[in-house]
Amino acid sequence: MQQSKWGKWGVFAFCAVWFVLTLFPLYWTLVTSFKPVLFVTSGPTYIPWVDFEPTLKPWLDAFSGDRGDFVATFLNSVWISVSASVIAMIFGSMAAYALVRFEFRVRVLAGVIFALVAVGTYVGLTQIKVGEVYAMAVAFPAALLVSILVNRLPLPGPVMKNNDVVFWFISNRMMPPIVSAFALYMLYSKIGREGFKLLDTYWGLTICYTAFSLPLVVWLMRDFFQSLPVEVEEAALVDDVPRFRIFLEIVIPMARPGLIAVSLITLGFVWNEFLFALILTTGDWQTLPILLSGQNSYRGDEWWAIAVAVMIAMTPMVVITIFLGRMMRSGLMLGSIR
Amino acid sequence: MKDRSKYLFIWPAVLVVLLVTLFPLVYTLNLSFQYVRLIPPLPPRYVGVDNYAKLLEQARFWGVIGNTSTLVFISVGLQYILGLGIAMALHSKVPGERLFRVTFLLPMLLTPIAVALVWKQIFNSQFGPLNELFTAFGYPNPPFLTQINWTYGSLITVEIWQWTPFVILMMLAGLQSLPQDIYEAARLENASNWQIFWTITFPMLLPVSVAVIFIRIVEAFKIIDTVFIMTGGGPGIATETLTLFAYQEGLKKFNLGYTSAISFLFLIFIIVFGTLYMALLKPQLEKRH
Amino acid sequence: MRKLFTGFAVATTLALASTSAYAQCKPQAGMPDYSGVTLTVGSQVGPFIASAMKMGGDDWSKMTCGKVNIVEFPFGELYPKYVTAFAAGEDAFDVITFAPAWTPDLAPFLSDMPAKMRQTEAWMDIHPTYRDRLMMWEGKHKSQTIDGDLHTLHYRIDLFEDPKEQAAFKQKYGRELLVPRTWEEYYQVAEFFHRPDQGLYGVTEAFARGGQQFWFFFTHAAAYTNHPDNPGAMFFDPETMDAQVNNPGWVRALENYKRSLALAPPGALNFSSGDTRQQFAGGKTSMNFDWGDTGTVGTDPEQSQIAGSVGSDLTPGSYEIWNHKTKKWDRFTRVVYSPFMAFNGWQAAVPSTSKNTDAAWHYIETTTNIKNSGIQVITGGSGVNPYRYSHFDSAVWEKKMTPREAQEYLVAQRDSLGADNVALDMRLPFYFDYTEVLEIELTKALAGQVSAQEALDAVAEQWNELTDQFGREKQLAAYRASMGL
Repeated sequence: MQQSKWGKWGVFAFCAVWFVLTLFPLYWTLVTSFKPVLFVTSGPTYIPWVDFEPTLKPWLDAFSGDRGDFVATFLNSVWISVSASVIAMIFGSMAAYALVRFEFRVRVLAGVIFALVAVGTYVGLTQIKVGEVYAMAVAFPAALLVSILVNRLPLPGPVMKNNDVVFWFISNRMMPPIVSAFALYMLYSKIGREGFKLLDTYWGLTICYTAFSLPLVVWLMRDFFQSLPVEVEEAALVDDVPRFRIFLEIVIPMARPGLIAVSLITLGFVWNEFLFALILTTGDWQTLPILLSGQNSYRGDEWWAIAVAVMIAMTPMVVITIFLGRMMRSGLMLGSIR
Repeated sequence: MKDRSKYLFIWPAVLVVLLVTLFPLVYTLNLSFQYVRLIPPLPPRYVGVDNYAKLLEQARFWGVIGNTSTLVFISVGLQYILGLGIAMALHSKVPGERLFRVTFLLPMLLTPIAVALVWKQIFNSQFGPLNELFTAFGYPNPPFLTQINWTYGSLITVEIWQWTPFVILMMLAGLQSLPQDIYEAARLENASNWQIFWTITFPMLLPVSVAVIFIRIVEAFKIIDTVFIMTGGGPGIATETLTLFAYQEGLKKFNLGYTSAISFLFLIFIIVFGTLYMALLKPQLEKRH
Repeated sequence: MRKLFTGFAVATTLALASTSAYAQCKPQAGMPDYSGVTLTVGSQVGPFIASAMKMGGDDWSKMTCGKVNIVEFPFGELYPKYVTAFAAGEDAFDVITFAPAWTPDLAPFLSDMPAKMRQTEAWMDIHPTYRDRLMMWEGKHKSQTIDGDLHTLHYRIDLFEDPKEQAAFKQKYGRELLVPRTWEEYYQVAEFFHRPDQGLYGVTEAFARGGQQFWFFFTHAAAYTNHPDNPGAMFFDPETMDAQVNNPGWVRALENYKRSLALAPPGALNFSSGDTRQQFAGGKTSMNFDWGDTGTVGTDPEQSQIAGSVGSDLTPGSYEIWNHKTKKWDRFTRVVYSPFMAFNGWQAAVPSTSKNTDAAWHYIETTTNIKNSGIQVITGGSGVNPYRYSHFDSAVWEKKMTPREAQEYLVAQRDSLGADNVALDMRLPFYFDYTEVLEIELTKALAGQVSAQEALDAVAEQWNELTDQFGREKQLAAYRASMGL
């Protein structure tokens, strides 16, 4: 866009103000993490060596293990958020793409039948003393199979289309997660008693995060795929290129800015999630947000310790932002060449 | 298009989501018709729609919905306006754009708990830096977190600070995937920037905008950490939000039937809202195609 | 990436080191052999309490070859963590540390303390208020106190003993400037020192919802409602279980509590107990009352600007106490002190789901024995306050405080605990239902939305409803048990 000189300066000033607003709290946290206790509780100070004498003590405290095990928790967070985001991005982009390029028709009646078969089979099986987990393991696929078959029949009643499917995805993120987290704990606990441990394990948390990230990915990626021109793909289809190759070799590269933006959002969501991590882990797979929140103990807000924890939790995200930000730019270059 | 491979594309996602969310959904629905106290254990009993009826006549529930809506709609509205503006500024290659771009995203990637803790300190009426700023302008010790209007201002500030980056990121990605040729054509016709924005940019960004605003609203309605840490729902219960209310009922009192009813009422509320929102915007979206 | 590898290397080395230590381990003479046992201990994120549990764990490992794994959660989330595990029947914890207020809710899931733990010298050393009252539920010993907690008053010696201040005070009020013995005196002194223009404020208390607010209010209320002739009648009528919380004694307490807010630093409405400690240690207020931590924080030159000047005493008492039976104020000839056992001190217990109950109780016994708890009490940041007679030996304290500070601190702690009219904190099943109502109404009253009487009437009405809902008989029996009746 062309701009007058004044317009250009106005835009720059606007960005500069926002820059300061964005950075100040982060800068404040950084300096606070080096402040001796006395300086925190006696009014604001801003610059080390100028208005206060910095100390390393809060950092040493954090790594001494007295305030919780930062190293192990950090690694847990890394493994879980990377795996959950990657799986969610793959499955989610695939689904989002399908929802843009194909037409799906789900009969409401099939959904009702799914619910009836699932609940019926489950109740029936538990009545004849089949374990709850096994009953679920039978009822769920049975109901799925029946409803898929039913969906093919020309049944009466309303039909749900792609938009409704997308809405179904996103509706999974709408409920306050309090009871869901508790319910998931109960489910995991029951499965655990049948020998497959999910509570406080890598898989337990990863599956949960994948499932709750997928709606985000589907919802956001769909818009990016929608804005892509369909002509290139059509040309490839004429040449009989399989769908999967079209998706991987044509669609994904074109949607790169969107993919990167959504990965960043997903990663941020998983990295920072609190409630599920709290409920579903005990000692082995605790994640950073739990430890961070624990720094705010009932003994009062110990700002220096909180600041250290915030810095530790933030660093990998900063690195990833810088890295992905670069990739987003090169994605843009690619787009303009096209 | 008819293509069998479409199922291959969609089923993995559907299965994972179903596996994890189906049980909690059914469990919650079932609980919402019961009176359940876990601790100390009381035998659960079915009470029909009592939980729902009790909620709907409870002033606190409506208060909580009101508080949450106020916070959500004001902050999401401002986030969108600011976010779009900043995204366009970045897209127009403002000087320092590379630095701005990375920096502007950071707040979004912080744990809400951390954000709340940091801002609580900044809003400290005595030791905080903002107090110093206000004092310099002759207004010492403003009641940032203890007087109702100030409190809303503070909470909305934090929400905007943390989540405008989300809008920036999505709008920027949207702007980057817009075709350049339309702009060139418009420029050839000597259209002003203002005209270009309203006739090209804004309408073309509408689908992304609609999606971004909706997801922000859905996520923002679940706000808990910021409020819990900064005000504890106070002053009085003026800033108590829906999830905070559900948290108290569910994970403190373990009044699970009642909490399930809260969850479902909220789900219904937001589905109705979402359907209306989509219905209202549909004509706008379809104009484009 | 290198960071990750270093992390791994460290973790692996540690794991190797601990397994090799385990291979060579032999239990000390006379100690049981718990080789191969690993106890999972639930605690809040350190250092408070968790570091004490860890320190006890190290000692226990040396003695018995067992291992201890401390699992830490934010304080606010401990209760839901325990409850979910118990409700699902998960064997997630061998030892839990918790607030005594949760005892009634958790007791059905806890094992009894082994009888042999109660026949030792170390047992008799525990102060009876803890030993015979707080560690028991429904006639059984369910938990071990690992920390003593009560509110004491703290004041600035440098201000109170400044001759200029003393003279000015005398001129203004016609009496000597002394540590307040009643709440009326407390407010007189607070008003005298309340000088916002000089950055000095009268008092500081916790007023934030979820910030230990109601314990501060209870300390006010204890002075007016804990009648020596009607033991255990502070919160409920122990005959009928009718809520007492809106009687004139409580209303006066709430009016006082609001008065404190006016004499506190700006933003106090959002203070938790931790903030009041920082305010006092930062030299911002002339007095505060708090748990023992103000004493340890305030006297530590690294955290405090008033180290060397921290005086301690009992929280103020009253000449008048409301008698709920006669519905009259009873006047006493001397000040009656009703020190309030706010929070009642952390407890440790063993869930019945644990597969290692013997080892777990043995670990608790070791962690809280005279030697270990003696070290914890004087370690700053352990969060452990005195609960044994042996903790009141002033020699060890003088390493941390000036002799006068140590003396006053210990006397205040010991005399509060031993006071004839000591007031116990509320312990009831469905605890959070009761306190939530209270917190909401208190917060409204503090924000000026309702009057003190209106707020407390609302609390009483809702408390009575809750009692009926949960079964009046059961709640009454539980309440009487908690008050030792």
